[in-house]
Amino acid sequence: MRSLGENKLKNKRGNILTENIIFIILNLVFLSILIVFLVSKMSAAAVLEEMHAKQIALMISAAEPGMTIHLDMENAINIAKKEGINSGDVVTIKENVVTVKLREKGGYSYSFFNDVDVSVYPDTTNPEDITDYVIKINNYKNE
Amino acid sequence: MNKRGDKLISVYWFAILFIVAGGIVYMVSAFYGKPYDVRGAEADILTSKIAKCISEAGYLKDGVLEEDFKNNFIESCAINFQAEDVYDWRERGQYYVEVDILEFNTKNKLSELSEGNQGLKLDCGLEGEGFPVCVERSLYSIDENGNQYQINILSIVRKTEKNVQ
Repeated sequence: MRSLGENKLKNKRGNILTENIIFIILNLVFLSILIVFLVSKMSAAAVLEEMHAKQIALMISAAEPGMTIHLDMENAINIAKKEGINSGDVVTIKENVVTVKLREKGGYSYSFFNDVDVSVYPDTTNPEDITDYVIKINNYKNE
Repeated sequence: MNKRGDKLISVYWFAILFIVAGGIVYMVSAFYGKPYDVRGAEADILTSKIAKCISEAGYLKDGVLEEDFKNNFIESCAINFQAEDVYDWRERGQYYVEVDILEFNTKNKLSELSEGNQGLKLDCGLEGEGFPVCVERSLYSIDENGNQYQINILSIVRKTEKNVQ
């Protein structure tokens, strides 16, 4: 038969264990929320739209006729698919303005100064899994 | 007494966690909330393009010193300064380029070419993110007769609204 002292000690040990577990779980929840926030900010559609639009505009500005550029846009295309945007409509070029659109109510445009005719289309080497975009510099517009 | 002490430590622990998390959230928001500033790279590319248009493999291209090239310099170099139609960018040009071709030894100016929004030149040298980015480069070139030239190129890109918060 246990004494009163032994029972109290056991209860106290039980309390300490429960409190610690709750404490650890709360910490983990807290850290998880923080990590989810960071990841969501880093891969946010708006950030990727701006990054790719500026990247493509700079690449075209520096390119010369005859060049073909393959650009890895896997993250952006995956987000566009989730948002219901067709892979072929992610990057468009009108006159000398590049537009990257990953959301229905979104899109980011940036202009380039190289006066060239450009074709841009998704790389359909593997139609099931489109990850790249092809940017083809055809010729100078005033030629 | 010990239990109260433990609870007190937990409260402080969470307070510290919230302060750290608040700091991280603020820094991440500040970093990703700011646009990428690519004007420096853009001005560098513009300068290289102009340089290639005027001089190739160290030799001054034919006709660069002629009036016809001077009048159609931007078209001849296949450059289009029309920016996207936002923030009045089309009305207020976002680029400016100035090229001076000098005789290398005497520094006599042989030709001066410029195109774009000349008003941007006034903001060069001013400190602060809200001003246009100016890039100045000089290169040496010769012609077929061995004449030596110094080419000074100034490229300016504004586009402040999309590159600076």
